[in-house]
Amino acid sequence: MRKLLLSILVSLVMMSILAVGCGGDATPVVREVVVEKEVVVEVEKEVVVEKEVVVEVEKEVVVETEVVVEVEKEVVVEVEKEVVVDKILEPFRIGVMESLTGPGETYGQVAVQSKQLAVEEINRAGGINGRPLVLIIEDEKCNARDSITAYTKLTQVDKVKIILGTSCSGAMLGAAPLAEADGVVMFSGLATNPAVADAGDYIFRTSMNDAQVGIDTGNKLWSDGIRKLATITEATDYAEGVRRESANRFVALGGEVVAEERYGSEETDFRTALTKIIGENPDAIHIAAQAEFSGGTIQKQVRELGYEGPIYGEIVVVGATALDIAGESATGTIGIVAELDSTNPLAVNFLDRFRARYAFTTLQWYMGSAYDDVYITAACLEQTGDDQDADGFRDCLYNMEPFSGTIGTYTFDDKGEVVGLSNVIAEVVAVADRTPENSGWNILGPAPVLP
Amino acid sequence: MLEKPVAESPWWRSLSNPRLLGTRLSSNVELLINFIVVVATIVFILSQGSGFGIRIAQLFAIFAILAVSLNLVIGYTGLLSLAHVAFFGVGAYSVAILTTDAAYEQVPGHIPHFGLSFFTALFVGMAITGVVALFVGGVLSRFRDDIFVLVSVGFAVISHRIFLFWQPVTRGPFGIHAIAKPEVGGMVIDSRLEFLFLTLAFLVIVFLISWLIVRSSFGRVLMAIREDEQAIEVFGYKARYFKLTIWVISAMMAALAGGITASEQTFIDPQSFVLLESILLVTIVILGGLGTLWGSLLGALVFVLLNEGMRFVPFLPGELIGQARLAILGIVIVLLMLFRPQGLVGRFKL
Repeated sequence: MRKLLLSILVSLVMMSILAVGCGGDATPVVREVVVEKEVVVEVEKEVVVEKEVVVEVEKEVVVETEVVVEVEKEVVVEVEKEVVVDKILEPFRIGVMESLTGPGETYGQVAVQSKQLAVEEINRAGGINGRPLVLIIEDEKCNARDSITAYTKLTQVDKVKIILGTSCSGAMLGAAPLAEADGVVMFSGLATNPAVADAGDYIFRTSMNDAQVGIDTGNKLWSDGIRKLATITEATDYAEGVRRESANRFVALGGEVVAEERYGSEETDFRTALTKIIGENPDAIHIAAQAEFSGGTIQKQVRELGYEGPIYGEIVVVGATALDIAGESATGTIGIVAELDSTNPLAVNFLDRFRARYAFTTLQWYMGSAYDDVYITAACLEQTGDDQDADGFRDCLYNMEPFSGTIGTYTFDDKGEVVGLSNVIAEVVAVADRTPENSGWNILGPAPVLP
Repeated sequence: MLEKPVAESPWWRSLSNPRLLGTRLSSNVELLINFIVVVATIVFILSQGSGFGIRIAQLFAIFAILAVSLNLVIGYTGLLSLAHVAFFGVGAYSVAILTTDAAYEQVPGHIPHFGLSFFTALFVGMAITGVVALFVGGVLSRFRDDIFVLVSVGFAVISHRIFLFWQPVTRGPFGIHAIAKPEVGGMVIDSRLEFLFLTLAFLVIVFLISWLIVRSSFGRVLMAIREDEQAIEVFGYKARYFKLTIWVISAMMAALAGGITASEQTFIDPQSFVLLESILLVTIVILGGLGTLWGSLLGALVFVLLNEGMRFVPFLPGELIGQARLAILGIVIVLLMLFRPQGLVGRFKL
């Protein structure tokens, strides 16, 4: 019995893999109803059969010869027939690789949702030159191995030449050498590792390099009169990049880093490290986190330990979840953030539509960045008219006129890096004043520029 | 614990008799499983085209080397180790550091430069891993059963921390890029197909060595240790040295897989060597069957097919694709274990 059940189970699993493997993607089909007029000519043949009348009148036999009458009748019938013709408008097929699972899933999920929103809008408005845009979504799980597999699937099975993504820099750096060799464009809205700049000719991003946040943070610290800084940093490429760039800028301006602590992504208690850095008596503490959980918890725990000085952080530290966790402890925290401009109608409209559809927003700048990527892609596809023309697409991006999107007005430089965007200074307001609209912050203006 | 296989007439006899074949297939689940898995693989690869097939095969080969080597420790010697990913990582990082001198323009600091060729680096990496494994094994051999599992988890976590925090050498979370490709007599192996053949060649070597170990008297002692360590010591065998030896051999095989992976991906970061990977490897070994080398190959194949096959599950909304696929994979593994706790072709349970 058990063996029978098992064999049924195993065969079901394998058969489903086969079925799935053999099945194609659903291509959107534009249905056209063509009314065809068909003229049907019916020929009716009426045959009047012979009639033989034999009349016998006494002895005289009169035989009336048979009469055969054939009538040919032509009937012309007009039939109106509705013929449904499936006219396939070949869609533009674009690959998407984001961290749907794994450590980067907070980013990957909203990136995919934003992109789908953009695609729906484009298709509802008639597509690109009348052709719909289709996203083929793959999970890169925030690591190089799965990123390469996802890339191979997209390029070899789905035959796409343009890929939007990835969410994680590690995944980007894993697939980028292949994309560079194959001549496939990879275009990310979220990867911020400085190394992505040098990853190749076909690699683009609208996300700002970590170095930019670092320079802005260093300037802000110095201009606020901070001279002794302590840092606590999550050991990930993003957070570590932010810390290093901030500290480098701060030290170059004449500041001193008196304490440096790092923690792993799954740690939940930071009191030991915090006690240590508070003991160094710094003017300010700088937090760089990859996950909002630790970003929020650190602010809560540092205030519980009695620290009253200013706290500086980047976008994750002042994210919605982090502020929920930190509560009142976060009030006054300064975030050097990439934030959507609330005076930009494109950004406001996008956030409204996103909220209407998914009932939340988080990491708004990255949502906007992912959303813009689809519109830039649409604009370039309109120009090249071919989703297999990666070279044309690449040149279109390099030569792009300043593009006005939700995150600002920008172009790409010769490394595929975005030019024209900047960070703003946000100060976290009291819990009572935090609303989804203001993200819990008061924007103090753009980051200071120092020589 | 081991069931003796019942002596039966060869399976091909039943081919001439359809009724007998039917009974045979339903009674011999292992044969059926083998058949289904192999057919599924062939159809999957044929339907998805050679490019993706090569990638699937490459993943299979790496997982197979890891699973076969882990099975020597878990399945044959009875040491449930979750530290395998650590040796995988040490091998990968050794090859990466020994071969590459790449520096990103914007990432300051150079990691040490040795400039070795891939194959030299691979063997040096395996030697380094062997030394590390000897040390770790020396510590681990003081523990048994559940404590052993916990300590091995500890070692996997420590190694991940070292990859992450020893920045002057490993470049920490930034990872190492532009790792060299193997070169044989002036010919660089850089196409995906060539690399697959190289990996498969290594898999064959690993499989043969493992097979020889298992068939030898040394292997029989290992199995005896699994069954009853004290009993074998009574016969004068020093179980500790036997365990240490197989531990080091298995670790060096994992390092081989790591070195190949590093070169194949050309980029590694600590994210690829987390504890979860170890758990996946143990899953593969148990899925295939403990104490059977063929089972490890089958387990790796089924795992890769399920894992990557999930990419083709249709009708899932875009926002849920990733989560839904993982949930389905989890359910399938639970069901498989529910109905066949001894693994696909295995004969004994942990």
